Amino acid sequence: MKPFNPLFSQRGASAVQVTVGIVVIAALFAFPQFVKSPYVLHMMILFFLSTLMGQSWNIIGGYTGQYSVGHAAYFGTGAYTTLILLSTKEIAPWYGMWLGIAASIILALIIGSICFRLRGPYFVLASIAVAEIVRLTALNLTSITKGAEGILVIDIPAFKIGETVITDFSSKVPYYYIALVLALVIIGVTWLVQHSKLGYYFQAIREDQDAAHSLGINLTIWKNSALVISAAFTSLAGSFYAIFVKFIDPSTVLPLDLSVQIVLISIIGGIGTIFGPVVGSLVLVPLSEALRSNVIAEGLINSGLVSETSGIGIFLKEHLAHAHVLIYGILVVVVILFMPEGVLGYFRKMTAKRKGGKA
Amino acid sequence: MTFSVLVQSIISGLLVGGVYALIGVGLTIIFGVMRVINFAHGDIMMVGMYMTYFLFTLFGVDPFMSVLITMPLMFVFGAIMQKVFINRILGTLPQNQILLTIGLGLIMSNAAMLAFTSDYKILTTSYSSSSFNVAGISISQPLLTSFLITCVITAGLYWFLMKTDTGQAIRATAQDREAAQLMGINVKWMSILSFGIGSAMAGTAGALISPTYYIFPQVGSAFTLKAFVITVLGGMGSIVGATLGGIIIGLVESVAAVTISSDWKDVVVFSIFLLVLLIKPSGLMGKSRM
Repeated sequence: MKPFNPLFSQRGASAVQVTVGIVVIAALFAFPQFVKSPYVLHMMILFFLSTLMGQSWNIIGGYTGQYSVGHAAYFGTGAYTTLILLSTKEIAPWYGMWLGIAASIILALIIGSICFRLRGPYFVLASIAVAEIVRLTALNLTSITKGAEGILVIDIPAFKIGETVITDFSSKVPYYYIALVLALVIIGVTWLVQHSKLGYYFQAIREDQDAAHSLGINLTIWKNSALVISAAFTSLAGSFYAIFVKFIDPSTVLPLDLSVQIVLISIIGGIGTIFGPVVGSLVLVPLSEALRSNVIAEGLINSGLVSETSGIGIFLKEHLAHAHVLIYGILVVVVILFMPEGVLGYFRKMTAKRKGGKA
Repeated sequence: MTFSVLVQSIISGLLVGGVYALIGVGLTIIFGVMRVINFAHGDIMMVGMYMTYFLFTLFGVDPFMSVLITMPLMFVFGAIMQKVFINRILGTLPQNQILLTIGLGLIMSNAAMLAFTSDYKILTTSYSSSSFNVAGISISQPLLTSFLITCVITAGLYWFLMKTDTGQAIRATAQDREAAQLMGINVKWMSILSFGIGSAMAGTAGALISPTYYIFPQVGSAFTLKAFVITVLGGMGSIVGATLGGIIIGLVESVAAVTISSDWKDVVVFSIFLLVLLIKPSGLMGKSRM
């Protein structure tokens, strides 16, 4: 009989993996002590936020197999609830975000009760339709949401425990730590889901919902549970985004494009895996930011490939930034055609091939 | 609201519905033959709109006449898209098919943004805002012309599918792909053909509405959603259903805009869509494919 060693449990991670994990997490916590550049911190925050969004979707889409293309609804609900409460009732975001989660859970249960009667493509279409209804409602209920004008807040109140001020949000650093903790929490939640009975129910539904049903798994309850977990964390991501950017309107926090981007984070990384959304964010965030901030256009010009004064140079400088979503389109087409299991799955397959020799 | 306003909105709804029907018919043919839900349908339509715009501004081709050029070009565009991309994922997970077409749509709309900027373009013809009166009801001339062209095209397509050998082969493929293959029908060719026809319909619809609508790179997604509503309402795969669905949605939008408010008309449309999905997911004319 093997001696009991908690680090070498069969279902968990190996000692090496645990050590690497601890080192990475420690390094991420120490990161702002060494790197002061607000731009780098900004990128890291976007990376954590993207991980949070992708991983939240992964629970319903990747583990439970229900491809919701309407997650912007929960993101927007979190963002709007938090900022409306802050701007009109002066309720601090760390209370507002819980109300945002509550609102998103209620919304998820309503959406679930409608959409989970449908399957496959019909479910996808219904999830889009509901999210569009939410967006149009936010756009037209101008008395509450200010409609297309959007909501702008200037000051985020300082975060206090008792009388001690923890942070006043004057730099990017507090946002960095909040986003890091949120990303770690969602990875932890996904790990728990994968290794719990709940997760086995979810995966059984994904593999064959009729078989799962005949084995006594209540489809309605477990699909809705997966959606509620997913919606709660997506809403949290929305609340965080709202206080980080300090401005929201229906076209930034509720559009169909956002729902699609949330799905793509997981798809590109590898769905139904813990690190898929992390890898997806690692690929997408730098690429899309590089396009958005014109780094690529300037790089092409500086490297001498394209002359700055030539027609192409001027064109790229002016327009490439507006088309940063193009990269999502190209990546998803490449991934679906050539790496259907995502970037992570593709590299796993490659390493398995190399280890296994010719087989 | 007076009675004449209501009649007015019914007539313009009917005319717009004709173009919607064309968009829906394209989507439903693609779905019928390949079981692929084309999320790039509105973006294909956007390509048709830009094509019409540039034919008009650069060569002075009348938007309605340009249908003769746009339709075959969009057919080729769709056929190539099917051959290069869609063909590779037939028979894989429906989710992957949806994501692939979403990706292709994103590429089209963002490439259009790169090439033509996100500015709204307006195609103004001499008759863009002209209309004539019949018993106190004014009828927009471009809308009426596009409606009549739509009728001709839909009738032609229906004749093609019902009466010609190729049309029957397409319908056979839609009914049972394997059986059709066993009967000696080249189903791969039928898939290319039907994606081409679907794209040609979407592109033509784009050409027909360009005199009365703004042209911009993101115009597609709204029409993709509308196309889904229309085809689900009519019954996925049913051409008569899609025609009917298009006209119903055109009417609902137009009447909701005057009776409720134009801000909420899309909410009404999506609510009807959800109701259809819940109560009769097979649609008005379709068989259940759930």
